[in-house]
Order: sequence, then structure tokens, then C-alpha cells
Amino acid sequence: MAKRVIIVDDSRAVIATAELALDEMISSGVIEFKSYLNPAELLGKLQSGEENFDLLISDVNMPEMNGLDLAREIKKDERYKTKPILVLTTESSNDMKMAGKEIGVTGWMVKPFSDDKLVKSLKMVLGV
Amino acid sequence: MEDLRLLIVDDVEDNRLVLNAICKKLKGFNIKEAVDGLDAIAVCEKWHPHIILMDVMMPNLDGFEASKIIKSRFPETIIMVVTAVIDPHMEENMSSIGVAAYVHKPIDKELIRFKIQNFASVLRLKAGQHTKLSHKNALNPFSADIRNFRTIFDINDAEGMMDFGMWILSRCDTNVLSSCIKVDSMIQLFYDLMRHGIHEDNCLSIIVEESFEEIFLTMKFDHAIVMKPKTVELVNDLQFCCIIRENIACVRLEINNKHFTAHSPLTTNITAKPLHSEPVSKSSEPKETLENIQEFQSDKYRRTIDANEQELLRQSFVHKTAAIDYVQEIGGDVLDEIRDLESLDEEWKEKLHTFEADPTIENIYQFTDRVLGVYIRAINNLFEFTALAYALASLGTFMKEHADGIISDPEKLKTLVMMTEHLGADLVSWREHVFELRDTADIHYLDSSFFSSCMQIEQIIGSKEIVANDDDGMEFF
Repeated sequence: MAKRVIIVDDSRAVIATAELALDEMISSGVIEFKSYLNPAELLGKLQSGEENFDLLISDVNMPEMNGLDLAREIKKDERYKTKPILVLTTESSNDMKMAGKEIGVTGWMVKPFSDDKLVKSLKMVLGV
Repeated sequence: MEDLRLLIVDDVEDNRLVLNAICKKLKGFNIKEAVDGLDAIAVCEKWHPHIILMDVMMPNLDGFEASKIIKSRFPETIIMVVTAVIDPHMEENMSSIGVAAYVHKPIDKELIRFKIQNFASVLRLKAGQHTKLSHKNALNPFSADIRNFRTIFDINDAEGMMDFGMWILSRCDTNVLSSCIKVDSMIQLFYDLMRHGIHEDNCLSIIVEESFEEIFLTMKFDHAIVMKPKTVELVNDLQFCCIIRENIACVRLEINNKHFTAHSPLTTNITAKPLHSEPVSKSSEPKETLENIQEFQSDKYRRTIDANEQELLRQSFVHKTAAIDYVQEIGGDVLDEIRDLESLDEEWKEKLHTFEADPTIENIYQFTDRVLGVYIRAINNLFEFTALAYALASLGTFMKEHADGIISDPEKLKTLVMMTEHLGADLVSWREHVFELRDTADIHYLDSSFFSSCMQIEQIIGSKEIVANDDDGMEFF
């Protein structure tokens, strides 16, 4: 069964780049790919049970809501406590990474990313 | 031209007095003083000085911060830093924000006058005012109004001619290189004259003379020129721009028209460095082996992120500025300019789709210069979004440099158009959040991400591997 991967990023260009990188995994049915531009919208849908994921890839700096705040809110929910969250951002300061680690995110990937690294990371986290 | 406005910024009164006394001896200047960086910005807002002499160590706002703000708001202003601090790092930083000159204290009054005069001459020249020259020994038959220097090429063979061709083309604006018809005709004529006119044991010279508006290229032989039918055709092509007389052939080219100019719209305020690409493996001797050709054709290049780009990418704005506070601070004019960008939203899409439907060099330039260029100028006028402006300029440079590859590959073309359209939508959203809704807690939320996306486009379209010096990759906790 396809794993549901959600990416949340305010940038359409980043989402398109990630979709291109994951094209093979999507077309072969290994993953289902869904994107959100607005983290608040995603959070609302997750909390209402309208949305679900096996892996969430989140940006940090977004206009409506910070990606780490989003992760913190999601991790409060028992349903998603053990679900992996990868951060995909240009932020690379240790303080930010430590904050992410404390919240419970699984990994930190720095933009610009290479297609190979993104695919390998996804496969590793999802075990596919 | 009216008097040039010169502003002296120094917190020490004695220093201001000394500088004022030095500058007073220069003709054609109106001088004012400011006591620190904040005062300097206030004077700039009202008085718009042409040239500023700026001290570094000052209370309230130092010379570096003040220069950064002034250059962002008034990019045309020429800033000369005058300081007792000898710090190469500081000089580098000053240079990176657009400071034009650095003068150390104790002040050499002749040197400082000389530098000010030089900048003043450039400003007057830009305003179309310069002293009429009359050079008695002008070699070209067109004009004696030439400047006090010449560039001479001694040419012995075709290779020397090629060096000259490279030199003259390198002085053309690279954006209009493809339309340098007149320059091309001139090179053809000179090449033709060289082939028929050069003999063993002799050489010919090309002497370059310049006025402020024109460049005169005179080819001089030690014997009279014999015109072949082909030469006559080439001379006719150049019409009134060419004179052949006895042993000289001279061509005049305008410097400031669109066919021969050194000014590029994309680099007005911010310089997008040409993308620095290197083949993955370098051979000390270029050999056209099958392996090399295959390697080249596979287009496997490495795009190295330099230190400046690294900084732009990785900047974490610790003190976040909320949009509501930021917009209150900026001037109404600048805000209007950003609002005017709304009219470009449709053009952004239209020009991209035109390029997709009709992939030509001209159409790619229509997008890079008419759309990206306007965006860059507007963003540059805000002094906060260096990474965004750099990213756009970098994208424009990339598109131009890879135009042939993009045009000839429908898949790349489609992907580029799709990605660039997304970038446009990201900018629309950024304008809304920062300037219209003013609802974001961090005005820089898009900066580095946008720059990163531009690099990803290079990666996808240019088949380049992105290599950062601090390549963190993926880190699992």
C-alpha cells in the first residue's frame, strides 16, 4: 500500500522541485504525494482527522506559521506522536536543529537538496 | 550640470573642517556636513548628495551601516570611506555593499581631491557634460575630439587579429552581442584587409582612439591599401562609419547606443555573478578524446555555491521583523513601486508562455530583461531583500547563459517554464503577505528558500550537482 507523504511549504517552486525529485516513487505507486502551502490549513485537517500521513516534510520559515510550531502541535496529538517528520529548510543553525530535535522531528535536510538525497532519505524513513 | 552635492560625514568637528577645507578648493561642488550615520541618512533623504565622504567609527550609526542603508536607498550615490581604521575585512565588507573608494587617514589631500575629481568627471559624463577635447595628433579622420590615451594592437597574424576581435567584442554588452552587426562588419572588414594587406616580415597596427561618445578603430599599414571587390562591399555595408584613405582604414562606433554599450540592465544595482561552472574532471591539456566529448555531452557540471551565496542562503534572521512594522518604516514611493509590480504578474506568465510557444533568444531576453530586470530594480530599492534580488539576477544570468540548451530541449524548456511560473507565484504571495496583508511575523520568510529554488532550477535544467561548502545534507536525530 502506498505510503502517504505530505509536504508543507509556502513555496510552490519548492513543492514542484520535490515532486519532480520524487516522481519515480509517485508514479510507481510507492508513495502518495500531497502538498500544502499553508501549515495552518494542514494542521486543521490533521486535527479534524480529514488528513493523515506516513511522513511529513515541512519547511520552517513560512508566513502563516513556523514549521517547528507546526511540528510541535502535531506531536501533541497521540495519533501522530510516532509519525516521522522531516524538516526541509535553508535554516542550518545548530540552535534551530536542536529545537527541532527537542520537538521530536526525525531529521533535518538543508536546501538546496539533491534529488538523490531526498529519495534516499524518504526510503530510509519509510522503510521502502 | 548644476554643482555636484558633496556630503562630509564625520563625528569629529576638526576632521570635518579639514575635509571641508580640502574640498572647498574643488570647483563645482556644493558641500554639506553630517555628524554621524543617522544624520547622514537624514541629509541624504532631503538633499540627495552625489558623493559622500564617510567616516567609519561614529556614534549612533557607524559608517558601514549608514553606507549600507544609503546605497540601498540611493544606489547612484558614490560613497568614499575616509577612516583611520586599517582593516582589510572591513574594506571587503564596504566594497561588497557598493562603497566606491577607501581612503586612509591621515588624509592625503591631493589624493582625496584626485579621487573626488575622478568621480565627478564620471557623473558629469553620465549627465552628458564633458569638456570638448581637441587632440592635435588624432589619427582617425573623423574627429579630433578624442581622449588623452590610445590602445594599440600590433598584429602579425590571424591569431593577433583574433585577440583584437575578442577585445572589441568583450567591450560590447553581452546582452546585445548577438545584435552587434556593426561591430561584426568592422571585424570582417579588418580581417579581409589583414588577409590581403599583411606580408612577410611586416605587421599592421590597429590604433583605438576614444571620445566620450564614440570609439575610432584605425587600421594602419606601411603601404597603401588596395581595395578588392569584397573589401568594397564590406566598406559599403558600413556606409558613413568607415573611411579608407591611403594606408589607413578607420571605422567609428558609437559607445552609448544599444549596439555598443557596456551597460547591462540586470547589473544596474546588483551584480549577479555569472554562474561559476567547472567540468567535474579537468584535464591539464584539452584533448578531444571520445571520453572527453561524451563527458561534455553528458553535461555533468558542478555548481559551486560561493561564500557570498552561502551567506545569503544560510542567513538566519535571529531578530524577526514583522511585516506590519516593516511596512510602516519604508517610504511611500518604495511601497508604490512594489505595488506597481502587480502589473507584471500577468506579463511574467505571458512572456514565459510566449517563450515556451516560440523558444527564441529574443523571447528569453524579453522575460529576463523586461520582467526579471524590473523586479530586481524594485526589490533592490528596498534595502532588506538582498537574497531575493540576487536570486532573481542569478536566475536571469542562468537563463541567458543556457538559452541554447533550453531552446533545443523541449523537456528542459517545459520544466523551466513550469518552475519559473511557480517562482512568480511565490513572489506574488510574498508581496501579499509582506506588503498587502502584512500578516507575516517574518518578512524574510521567503528569501533563502527562493534563492534555494533558483539553484534547484539550475540543478534540474543545467544537470548540475549543487555543491555547498557546508554541505550538511541530511541529518537524522
